Amino acid sequence: MRYPSRTVASLLHERMLQRDPVATVDVLQSFMDPIRKALERRLSCSADDAHDSTIDALMSYLAAPEHFDASRGTSLGAYLTQAALKKAVDRWRKETARGQRELKFANVVELQARAPNDLMERYVEASQAVTRLAPPRMPERDWALLRDVLQGESSTQEMAVVLRLPLGPEHERRREVKRHRDRVMKRVARLGREDRDDES
Amino acid sequence: MTNPDWLADAARRSETQPWALGRVLANYRRVEQCTEEALQAELGCSRETLQWLALCRCPEGKAFADDASRIAKRFAVDLSALIRVLRHVQVMNALGSRGGSGDASRRDASSLQMAARDRTQDDPDDP
Repeated sequence: MRYPSRTVASLLHERMLQRDPVATVDVLQSFMDPIRKALERRLSCSADDAHDSTIDALMSYLAAPEHFDASRGTSLGAYLTQAALKKAVDRWRKETARGQRELKFANVVELQARAPNDLMERYVEASQAVTRLAPPRMPERDWALLRDVLQGESSTQEMAVVLRLPLGPEHERRREVKRHRDRVMKRVARLGREDRDDES
Repeated sequence: MTNPDWLADAARRSETQPWALGRVLANYRRVEQCTEEALQAELGCSRETLQWLALCRCPEGKAFADDASRIAKRFAVDLSALIRVLRHVQVMNALGSRGGSGDASRRDASSLQMAARDRTQDDPDDP
């Protein structure tokens, strides 16, 4: 598939500027295949990428043919091929950037993730600890708060409900929740020390 | 006319291009809730011809009739049917750009739509 001659291309461009309703079809028929092949050859890109980049470039030209300045001496074929090459390179850059972002993310996840058996051990330890601290060793309300904390609950509202705190200004509720949380954690630490002393 | 392997994809892409007839045809199908096959039947053309039509520049302004005629001639489709479709979408677009809401506006829209249909069906040769 060959590019149309400079004269034919020039006439096509004239028809585009005159808003000839079928010139768009002739532009696509004249340039789609030669540009697509040129991209595959020059960039060694996939047939799909060459296809998409060529359509992108041609659609841009069809939308605004006046952007091509024939007086600069460049042929329409060269202009459109250059535009398609640029689209292909942009597409490649985006893909590469996305790939690198995904790789970085994968590395972070891999570093931060605990080994499955480590997670399981921690879960079992936490479950056993909570069972040991269950009422009557701890008041029901404190035990409920501890379970919430261990399950990752961090909302003041949720913890205030568990603690059955009366409604009031937000800052006071937050301060009360923190006070109860610190108290319960100290209690847990103390009970833990007592358990260790008993075992030894 | 041979049908290249990029035709269907290009036609699909034309549906989002403001200059393309493909966008108007897609709007028509959406408004009328008709299938591609139904539109082919309405225009009396094949699926591939409909895809070629989509890649044409949409007729507009003073050259509307001439442009529509050139498209119809090039792809051998029924001119009056093509104009009926184009006018219908024009009416719908005009109503859409008016904005308006409520019963009065809906009555307006409905009567204008009927007028557009009546006119094109009664007098298909007169754009």
